[in-house]
Amino acid sequence: MSDTTKKWFSLNLGNSKTTSTDTCSCGKSSGGCGSHSDYQMSNEDFDTAVDAAIGDERKKDGFDQVFDVQMDRRTAFRKLTASLLIGAGAVSSSCSVITDDKSKEKAQIDWEEQFKGNYKLMNDDEKKATVDRLVRSYQIRKGKTINMSSQNAEKDVLFGYAFNISKCQGYMDCVSACVKENNQDRNSEMQYIRIHEMKDGKGFNFNEADDNYYHEVPAEGHFYMGTQCFHCDNPPCVDVCPVQATWREEDGLVVVDYDWCVGCRYCMAACPYDGRRFNWSTPEVPEEEINKNQHYLGNRMRKKGVMEKCTFCVQRSRAGKNPACVEACPTGARIFGNLLDPNSTIRWVLENKKVFRLKEDLGTEPKFWYFMD
Amino acid sequence: MNKYILHTLGCIVLFLLTLSSCKHGEEEYHSITNKIEAKSKNYHGTTISSESLIEGIETLKITEGEHTFLIPERKSQIKSYKCTECHNQPLSKMQSNDGLKKAHWDIKLSHADVNTMNCITCHNGDDMDNLKSLTGNTIDFNRSYKLCSQCHTNQFEDWKGGAHGKKVAGWAPPRASMTCVNCHDPHKPAFESRWPSVFNTQKAKERE
Repeated sequence: MSDTTKKWFSLNLGNSKTTSTDTCSCGKSSGGCGSHSDYQMSNEDFDTAVDAAIGDERKKDGFDQVFDVQMDRRTAFRKLTASLLIGAGAVSSSCSVITDDKSKEKAQIDWEEQFKGNYKLMNDDEKKATVDRLVRSYQIRKGKTINMSSQNAEKDVLFGYAFNISKCQGYMDCVSACVKENNQDRNSEMQYIRIHEMKDGKGFNFNEADDNYYHEVPAEGHFYMGTQCFHCDNPPCVDVCPVQATWREEDGLVVVDYDWCVGCRYCMAACPYDGRRFNWSTPEVPEEEINKNQHYLGNRMRKKGVMEKCTFCVQRSRAGKNPACVEACPTGARIFGNLLDPNSTIRWVLENKKVFRLKEDLGTEPKFWYFMD
Repeated sequence: MNKYILHTLGCIVLFLLTLSSCKHGEEEYHSITNKIEAKSKNYHGTTISSESLIEGIETLKITEGEHTFLIPERKSQIKSYKCTECHNQPLSKMQSNDGLKKAHWDIKLSHADVNTMNCITCHNGDDMDNLKSLTGNTIDFNRSYKLCSQCHTNQFEDWKGGAHGKKVAGWAPPRASMTCVNCHDPHKPAFESRWPSVFNTQKAKERE
């Protein structure tokens, strides 16, 4: 990152200004001091108490909440020492002559990864640099070479998907292919795709649908339909992200920068289609099962506490292949293609079959259509 | 007079508003359908191609109606082709009732019912290397879809357009689609019921 103009916010520790002096008489700036709790409070008293407890947070914003805090000398010393130790540790491991080159390189990579910017704002060189770092880091740690791509969206491509409800038989081959392709956590049995078993004659009744069946399929008197991320053209999950760690690419894919995500799960709540998944624990995939053909925005290994979701297999689709679910479906219920190509099969489906989308009235404009024979 | 000027001014303002308010050219659309329509107007193809993905697969180009695409070649995939290597004499001479297992003993026709179909609906005892249409015309094994399309007309329409069936490899042009017999066994075309390939035990636990 040799750029002199910085595209992302970096912390300026010298500039914070102290404005607030509201504290309780006991000197604490957070928590209760115990002197107000004995009687029923009046409104004014309540306000004073709140001011005393979180008065600073009410007036300060962002980093000031953390750094502009009144503290006694002892606490200040403690905090300074701790951060100095961490800094010294980092410096010593990267400059020391005793530690070997590999751990130095590892520390250097970790340092640069820690302070890199948002992938969305990176230029191609910066994208390549972070991908190279991640590949090298994996090599140092696991001794295995992976192939990671940072391929950008192609011009004149807009990905779309169609799902034939009359064809799906609930075999779930798509789900198992998706889990393998996208290195999803085997421990929590993360699955991007849900196949819903619905009763004939009840229509799309998600309340009564069984999305966790295990019996021979297709079951008498039932039909099957699948949901996953619909890659909305007007995605509500993107709007709510407080750190812009998720966005819509030019080719229509809604993607997540796993290194920029803070794990607040706003997007999960905003998605009307249950399309997003959260890593409650560190994802685990047996080394021999890891798909080493990866994309930065796709199936590279995730961390604990970040969101992930279907990317229409960005590592495959940008290389011209069909997503793993489309390829695995034994009944041909899944159709994928370029919406901008007037001769594509997906366009024929949209123009000649009776298609519909889920919750169209929300205006989310999903690029995932359902149809029947 | 004053009214007239006001009226003209109002008209001009309204006209300017119509020009400025609908964010033309700003990449914002009322719906995805509009976006697709607008952006595909000047479509000249992409650099992404399926060619490398279908390299090792022998294909042939077919044109049906307004659709032209590739399908996998079939004859080389049939192990015992050419049929006449064994069927070198009329069928009546090869049949016998001695109770021993003959070639094709494992084929049981489970396609429509006996009133509608038997072996010679598609096969020609006098020309074993080719298939035959309902009216007795010759159909090449490579173009067996012509046989299926005699009855399954709706599926044929959907297949031509791309709503039925699967692609051979990728989504990108050139289009290469599987043909009927790549997914369906012509002697037993229906898909069987079976167990799903995965079971989410975590969900089951949550529900206990």
